[in-house]
Amino acid sequence: MRARDWATGDVPHSKTFAFLDEGAKKDVRRALLKAVAIPGYQVPYGSREMPLARGWGTGGIQVTLSMLLPEDVVKVIDQGCDGSVNAVNIKKFYGRVGGVGITTDTALATVVQTRHRIPEERMRADQVLVLQVPCPEALREVEPSEAQTRRMHGEADYARMWLHLYEDVVTFGEIRISYRYPCTVNGRFIMDPSPIPRWDVPKLHMADTLFLFGAGRERRIYAVPPHTRVEPLEFDDHRFAVEDFAGKACARCGARDTFLDEVLRPDGTHQFFCSDTGHCDKRMR
Amino acid sequence: MEPLLRAHGLTKRFGPGCPACLESTGAEAGSNRCPHCGTVWACRDVSFVLHREEALGIVGESGSGKSTLVRMLHFDWDSTSGFLEAARIPALAEALPDLYPDGSPWSRNLLALDRFRQRKARDAGMGIVYQHPQLGLRMGVSSGGNIAERLLSAGWRSIGAMRARSASLLERTEIPVSRMDEPPRNFSGGMQQRVQIAKALSGDPPLLLLDEVTTGLDLSVQARVLDLVRALREELKLSMLVVSHDLGVINLLCQRTMVMKNGQVVEAGLTDQILQDPQHGYTQLLVASQLQ
Repeated sequence: MRARDWATGDVPHSKTFAFLDEGAKKDVRRALLKAVAIPGYQVPYGSREMPLARGWGTGGIQVTLSMLLPEDVVKVIDQGCDGSVNAVNIKKFYGRVGGVGITTDTALATVVQTRHRIPEERMRADQVLVLQVPCPEALREVEPSEAQTRRMHGEADYARMWLHLYEDVVTFGEIRISYRYPCTVNGRFIMDPSPIPRWDVPKLHMADTLFLFGAGRERRIYAVPPHTRVEPLEFDDHRFAVEDFAGKACARCGARDTFLDEVLRPDGTHQFFCSDTGHCDKRMR
Repeated sequence: MEPLLRAHGLTKRFGPGCPACLESTGAEAGSNRCPHCGTVWACRDVSFVLHREEALGIVGESGSGKSTLVRMLHFDWDSTSGFLEAARIPALAEALPDLYPDGSPWSRNLLALDRFRQRKARDAGMGIVYQHPQLGLRMGVSSGGNIAERLLSAGWRSIGAMRARSASLLERTEIPVSRMDEPPRNFSGGMQQRVQIAKALSGDPPLLLLDEVTTGLDLSVQARVLDLVRALREELKLSMLVVSHDLGVINLLCQRTMVMKNGQVVEAGLTDQILQDPQHGYTQLLVASQLQ
């Protein structure tokens, strides 16, 4: 199979359904089952080569491919946007290797793959959200050694992570983590929720949807099953808070209850737009 | 006196061990390394009882196994074999409800607990002050944060409460509270040692382990640190295990003393007795070598 064929779309079918060979799918599915059984625990798996560089969503792609069915409808977003190059390419890839339907409407999708955002629309129990993860280890911030972080997870030895937040409060008066906000899952493991903004963290808590996290470069899979506690780390006197968009609204659809991107215009003025373009489009219709 | 802690047969071995080890190592053989198999017996068959509000000294030359013993007691190192049992302490029973088998006055073997429980036991039961502040403190983290780490580990989640606790401990150990948010790397050696003491005391532990706390400090600073330790012992009714190669420190702080050599205890008894009437040849040498 030549690289050029992927680009031009001359290849009608890959040898197996959804690109991955059956052995690879089995490996990923086993990791997924274990991940769901132990919420927040990072399960190692053999990340395969994908027709995409590691770090560009290969973890999420492998998770999606290994559970794709021909009747699935897939939505892919990148920073909330359905139209970014990365999202479009991944979507086309799924259409070609799996023959699945493609949508930009969260409500119509059975599988949503995302980078850095969770859709604004509340997702249902019959949907799955797959998140691409660059750095699955939440403790990496405080401990460079993988052997040590595994030990810390094993023994629930999280004082240093808490100390990191304490130092933030003491030094800066607030916790400065704006994305990748560490969360305790099911009262046990501290988990990196992938680089979603703080805005999206509460959506993980007691959701109806299954959340699957795939890190291709770091070869880890983890999961938050439906109706699982996901609690951001916070102190009794310094509570976790989402971003404040008070007084601001989307310049396009007028929404006041969504995560907004700030856009600097050529004349120096600022405008705000919904980060979730699919949601914004839906409101405009 | 009521007992607080009892240890039996504490052993730490580095290497495979061989049948010839037993007679080829130890104080009699003059080495803790077995010439046949190369195994190092850092600590061999050490047993003792520590009573409440008592300070037990451990003296010996470097390489005699003093620090190994402390590291095993603090669960920094796994022991090869041995028992360590704690008397019923409310804080410990609260942190680990299954630690004491049905109404028994003594806990299960602490050395056989898993690491999670050992950490709980450590947070509730003891504090440690190392010879090198780098071992006990995070030099890049504020002093208040260093103290808070122990509290966070024990489940404290209020920044205000932790800061109040840190401030009172720093005040008690004579560090200006205004310097609470400075990292210990900004401090002098004596101050760092006092921050370590404050950190060790943060969880209000009944037991304090002191590993060569004054070594490397100049004499006037040594005196201040020792004064502080003595005052704290009286005030907080601490039990202490004091490791030192300095007989002066042991004499000042401890009622009872064990003398170690090549991983074994060669003599144990009242401190006065050991200093004035040493029985074992090595102890005699140690006492005679004291600078007058």
